[in-house]
Amino acid sequence: MTVADLSRSEMDRPDLPARGVLGASAPRKEDHRLLRGDGAFTDDVQPARAAQMAVARCPYPHARIVSIDTSRAERLPGVLHILTGADIRETTGPLTVLRPVPGAPELPYRALADGVATHEGQPVVSVVATSRHIAEDALDLLDIEYEPLPHVVDTMEALGPGAPVLQPAVLDSNLLAAQTDRRGDPEARLREADVVVGARFRINRVTALPMEPRAVVAQWRPGARMLTVHASTQVPHLVRKQLAETLGLDESEIRTVAGDVGGGFGLKLGVFPEDVLACVHAMALRLPVKWVEDRGEHFRGSTHARESVHDYTIGADAEGRIVAMMDRYVTDLGGWNSPFGSAQLSSVVFNGPYKVHDGLVERRVALTNKTPIGAYRGYGQPEVNFAYERLMDMLARELGADPVELRARNMVTQAELPWENPAGAVYDSGDYERCLRMAAEAVGWSRHRDAPRTLREDGRIVGIGFSSFVERTGYASSRFLARRGSRFGAHESVTLRANRSGGVDAYTGVSSMGQSSETAFAQVISHVTGIAYDAVRVHGGDTAASPLNTGAFASRTMIAASGALKAAGEEFAAKTRRIAAYALGCAPEEVRIEGREARADGRTVPLAEVFTRALTGQGIPPEEEPGLECTAHFEPMDAAYSFGTAAAVVSVDPVTGEFDVERFVLAHDGGTLVNPAVVEGQIRGALAQGFGAALGEELRYDPGTGQLVNGSMMDYFVPTAADVPPVELLHTEVPSPVTPFGVRGVGEAGTIPPAAAVANAVCDALSAWGVELFTLPITPESIWRAMRAATGQEAP
Amino acid sequence: MTAVHDSPGSLDQDAEPTAVVTVSVNGAEVTGRVPVRMHAADFLRQRLGLTGTHVGCEQGVCGMCTVIVDGEAVKSCLMLACQLDGRAVRTVESLAEGDRLGPLQEAFAARGALQCGFCTPGLLMTATALAYQGGRPDREAVREEIAGVLCRCTGYEPIVTAIEEYFAGLPETGEEEENART
Ligand code: FES
Ligand code: FES
Repeated sequence: MTVADLSRSEMDRPDLPARGVLGASAPRKEDHRLLRGDGAFTDDVQPARAAQMAVARCPYPHARIVSIDTSRAERLPGVLHILTGADIRETTGPLTVLRPVPGAPELPYRALADGVATHEGQPVVSVVATSRHIAEDALDLLDIEYEPLPHVVDTMEALGPGAPVLQPAVLDSNLLAAQTDRRGDPEARLREADVVVGARFRINRVTALPMEPRAVVAQWRPGARMLTVHASTQVPHLVRKQLAETLGLDESEIRTVAGDVGGGFGLKLGVFPEDVLACVHAMALRLPVKWVEDRGEHFRGSTHARESVHDYTIGADAEGRIVAMMDRYVTDLGGWNSPFGSAQLSSVVFNGPYKVHDGLVERRVALTNKTPIGAYRGYGQPEVNFAYERLMDMLARELGADPVELRARNMVTQAELPWENPAGAVYDSGDYERCLRMAAEAVGWSRHRDAPRTLREDGRIVGIGFSSFVERTGYASSRFLARRGSRFGAHESVTLRANRSGGVDAYTGVSSMGQSSETAFAQVISHVTGIAYDAVRVHGGDTAASPLNTGAFASRTMIAASGALKAAGEEFAAKTRRIAAYALGCAPEEVRIEGREARADGRTVPLAEVFTRALTGQGIPPEEEPGLECTAHFEPMDAAYSFGTAAAVVSVDPVTGEFDVERFVLAHDGGTLVNPAVVEGQIRGALAQGFGAALGEELRYDPGTGQLVNGSMMDYFVPTAADVPPVELLHTEVPSPVTPFGVRGVGEAGTIPPAAAVANAVCDALSAWGVELFTLPITPESIWRAMRAATGQEAP
Repeated sequence: MTAVHDSPGSLDQDAEPTAVVTVSVNGAEVTGRVPVRMHAADFLRQRLGLTGTHVGCEQGVCGMCTVIVDGEAVKSCLMLACQLDGRAVRTVESLAEGDRLGPLQEAFAARGALQCGFCTPGLLMTATALAYQGGRPDREAVREEIAGVLCRCTGYEPIVTAIEEYFAGLPETGEEEENART
């Protein structure tokens, strides 16, 4: 299909797009420039005379800064400006948090450590010089005296007695906050239950690791009072807000621009210390100041994710009907509260797709002397899925039941939806069991179920494991966010502006980070207006050239933006038809917009002419205002819940613990698909990150020194092309009743099921030994150790 | 706040040793003076404005900086600019003809082999260098060959497919030699 074919000529059912540009795999708008190396990533912004910043970081997990002597560094030729914590305290306020922990006191921190540093890698001094080399040389000439303080890196130890308290001025322990959601009397139901399974699950600390590191370029024109900040961020409008708060400027004095963003995944949400530092230097020097994070800094000074400990219990009756689910978990926050803090969705979807009346989920947030935790694709959902899906298999074994049938029996049915879970989440629609059956059938579960788990010729045993999930996508309105204390809205916005070439310029605050927003937005605009897909140009990420919005995260962009695009597009098309009708001498209702022209009754007028009339005000109906520009905002009232089931086929060597994921099937529902190829790409990409976190990635801290031991790409292994297991995707398409066009978010689903499905497959293969896995990542060593433990042997 | 060295004139004159290099870049000869410790990726990006070559780790692991030097894929963050002296470099900017994408780029677009696009230049140059070797690698071989370039967005499957299709569209090595002889 060519681009021209994609322009939709029928406007018959704008609500349920079955064909045409919406629902087609339109060629991506973003591709051409990126394939030619012509993207505009932040480091590609190279202003003349830009100075370069480098940052000295605390080498200890917890230390008092006794003294800082910058005199030797100042004397190095080429060094232009140096900032310390004392300077920053005088000139800026604390960094602000976008998503505070509900019920927790504020933990103010500044761009440079103020007296005490609470994690290795925290910025202590920043230096700007004529080149990055010189700035880094200057770091070696700084004389900083530290007094190491007692530290704690283990999440549970941090909450135990005797742990050093990180924020003694505000808290008397490292427990920042606890929050419980409950319904019914789960404790009583557990006491009465015929079967109870429970365990402690440990989720590994990982990091999003976008291929483009963070970067910022700040420029200040004092006479104009204008600070222009290019940054690699998912939320340019929120960065502008936070910079204004921290720097004490009016928002009108700041313009934030996110060009191309080389991957975000939740890590690039909000302001980081270096963003503030570059601005302060630039304002002092009146020179452009650039900072590009190096990978060593990225591993210590950006954010980590997922680390948590779940104590999860499920009770069921003798028929395998779940009577109670209870998850008490601790999330590690690290040394301070990053703009998004640790994941909150483990609470929201703690029961997964399973129907249970009596339930409890308790979230406790612990401070430790480690790099702060931030958002990462999935935001709590992969973590809790590992716990409840492992327990579903243990429950099946306990009952002697088929794990697929046990899941099916307990899933919320289509007829029961919408349904409110014990945490107050309202699941909107779907057929959860159908995805489960599709996945089970694809891997030949019924044959496998009854076959003995015996050694294959290659000495391996094959196991099959499942993981079913629901995924919260988007936010349930600003009222919901307000209840959780979030300092941003739930809406998206867009401005559509006609141009004299006959095309539409669309302006959005959403930056391009690989999620294909330019493509998807243009598809919706083309679908709603009838204007050719290739006549729509989407300009994103510039706060000076877009209506105020929220940003690209939480799989919310498409849900909220669709509504804004639809409203703006309808208004835009209506005015276009009125002016075209005037030109053609007919009634507006007779006019259809097709591609690059408007037509009525066999006569046509080019959109270039219609738009020129509109923009000049010459040749338009007398009652019509000149101009053709429409802005719309849209706030979804409800979140949409994606769902699915994954099945993993794994072969395990019972002697060594070596294993391979031989097949991985995901049956998934993402509602109405705006662009199936883009959706498939999102799912495959998220799965690869899910496999990485499940099977290899783990940031390890040495408890004695408090140092990150594998903070480089040489020691932290993300999947390569040779590592990702073969993936088969199956889709159902149940439109969500609560979103425009029935879309659901699709960006994060893939991160959720890999760990549980693979672990369940390994445990299925080794069920004769009674092996159960409770810890991530799953490695040959962890399997080997679990084998030793199950067979009562010592492991070194 | 400590303001020091208020002589912005020094911005252009790094007080450090330099060397003169002459290098062919995408077919054009370039001569310039570079600091001896500047790596090749920074030289391409900052001195020549060829910002399609990306930097992701400066440790030779991520592959974002992959370019072709004298016919071989190399990680330009592990090379000094001075080491380019007398050699021929090819970067991603050379792959399109005018505004027309080359066949490998077309295959990437058709297969959805890029999302954020940050890894794309490194992958394109790795596959281009692979094609110089002749032959027709199968999927497994492609996977191994591109394992030195990371991608955090796509899960690799569409990249492998795109490269495989690109190879399928190339003339057989035999033909090529045949053509070269006639
Ligand atoms: S930047 Fe050269 S390999 Fe990563
Ligand atoms: S497309 Fe984003 S890293 Fe590959």
